[in-house]
Amino acid sequence: MLACRQVSKSYKTERGLVTAVAGIDLDVAAGRFVAIIGRSGSGKSTLMAMVGGLSRPSAGTVEVGGTDVWRLSETALAAFRNERIGYVFQFASLLPTLRLIDNVALPAMLGRRQSTAATYAKASSLLDRMGLGGYLDAYPSEISAGEQRRAAIARALINDPALLLADEPTSDLDEQTEIEIMDELLAVNREIGTTLILVTHNLALAEQAGQIVHIANGAIVT
Amino acid sequence: MRLLANLALQNLGRRKARSLLLIAAVAIGSGVVFTGATLMRSIDDSMAVGFTRLGADMMVVPEGALTNITAALLTVEPTDLVLDADVLAKARLASVARAAPQKIARVEHSGIGSHHELVDLIGIDPALDFTIQPWLKEKLGRGLRAGDVILGAGRDAPLGSQLLIFGKPHLVYGKLGRTGVGTHERGVFMSFATLEALAASMPQRPAVLAPGKVTGFLVELAPGATALQARFAILSAVKGAKVVTGDSSLSGIRQGLAALLKGILALMVLMFASMAVMVSVLFSAIVTERRAELGLLKAIGARGAQLIGVMVVEAVIATGVGGVLGVTLGVLVMRLYERSLVYYLDNIGVPFVWLDLPHTVAFAVGAIVLAAAIGAVGALYPAWRASRRDAYDLVRGEG
Repeated sequence: MLACRQVSKSYKTERGLVTAVAGIDLDVAAGRFVAIIGRSGSGKSTLMAMVGGLSRPSAGTVEVGGTDVWRLSETALAAFRNERIGYVFQFASLLPTLRLIDNVALPAMLGRRQSTAATYAKASSLLDRMGLGGYLDAYPSEISAGEQRRAAIARALINDPALLLADEPTSDLDEQTEIEIMDELLAVNREIGTTLILVTHNLALAEQAGQIVHIANGAIVT
Repeated sequence: MRLLANLALQNLGRRKARSLLLIAAVAIGSGVVFTGATLMRSIDDSMAVGFTRLGADMMVVPEGALTNITAALLTVEPTDLVLDADVLAKARLASVARAAPQKIARVEHSGIGSHHELVDLIGIDPALDFTIQPWLKEKLGRGLRAGDVILGAGRDAPLGSQLLIFGKPHLVYGKLGRTGVGTHERGVFMSFATLEALAASMPQRPAVLAPGKVTGFLVELAPGATALQARFAILSAVKGAKVVTGDSSLSGIRQGLAALLKGILALMVLMFASMAVMVSVLFSAIVTERRAELGLLKAIGARGAQLIGVMVVEAVIATGVGGVLGVTLGVLVMRLYERSLVYYLDNIGVPFVWLDLPHTVAFAVGAIVLAAAIGAVGALYPAWRASRRDAYDLVRGEG
């Protein structure tokens, strides 16, 4: 499903070249749940961004389902992100001016693979599944942080992605909400079979994963 | 795409004060441009009409004749002094393009107006005249015939009505617009033949009514000829004549106005350019503020063109609405202008010709399209730059 080969990412700063990720090799089989753990600044999120087609590696290759992601053209890369990747960020990532249902429908509308009616029906069903069926017309500012995170999961699933990337999706939530969000993500992984890669600080959460990748100083430790 | 258009629209609504200020700035700019362009063209047209009506660059009159030089028209005051009607035609002067002869008789007890009213009966050669007929405001649907008269704006008689002059019936053929010149306002114009036919009925026959004699000529310079050249040519060819030039400042005014209009045009171009820069700076700030949102859109699969589209549509909506408001504002300003300055100009006999409706509408549409285009151009570069960034950098608020 996922094959990273010698993936590196370096940034030029005023103090010189900073290496965030240094030659990582990573393989993830389809349908797996992988947890990436490590301290802040260890390069977890940068690795996720390169896997998800959000940040171009300085070196190395990333293959998702046999596609060499970073050899794609800009347009093809946008389509890849739209169709193959679902992303849940570590912050409230809904567009504040759109209703929840519009936020969830947006990736499908951008891809234009199905009719508007079908897209909205699916968005409604996903929000329903996340327990947000009563908030279709609500704006993000009208719901709690946990509900916003659930809506973001619904949005990530609208195009049936092969790979769901969750970058510390519960970092700013209380314990109970954190458990509920994790339950949703795990259910997606188990019931739909979507490959899930989760970046987390929480070792208890990571222990539920089938594969744990520990990163330190931009390299895989274990 | 409707959702992206909605997003753009709602983004505008999110920062109401900023959006309103942007719209107001564009409205003022495009309003000034629309009003300026429309008035400029109207003034230009009015100048063209005005100068056509002014017609003459100079007058040739007998030495000793009185003349009336006004900003609006050159006229000959009636005297007993005369010139031969064919004197200029015979001279064949290269510096003279056209010469319109006039016969002017100031008469009393003519039957026009009150009993002792002095009335100027002015004879023209309809074929050569270029200073009177352009002022015709209304006329019968045919050419000027013997027995027809044209009334100055200060005289009140319906078209086609009969007017007795020295007991002889004449037909009111036409009426002049307001010229602001007394002799023309109250004058009665007719062909040489009609005027000469009246001579027998007059108690005293003015010398000018003798066939082959005229009070003077109104002269239009040939293209490229100067007033000085024409003056010398005429004075050397026509004995006993004097040459009176119109207010020489008129051509200066004409040239000055033309330069002023060009200056206004340059200012309008600069204004639009500064508007484009302003919109660009503003949208650079907006893009910076919305990096995370743009990154998010990119992360969920928005293509570069779609990202640019959201920003450009937002800018086009704001500046387009500004353009529409500006044009509306411009129309109101012009209404005000019409009720004040144009009314005043009309009253003093200075013609003001408004730009016709199709051109005005074209200018309005042009101003709105230009305003919207400025929004598009202003937002394009910052949006394009953002679209080239890595989604991850944008999401993290970098770039």
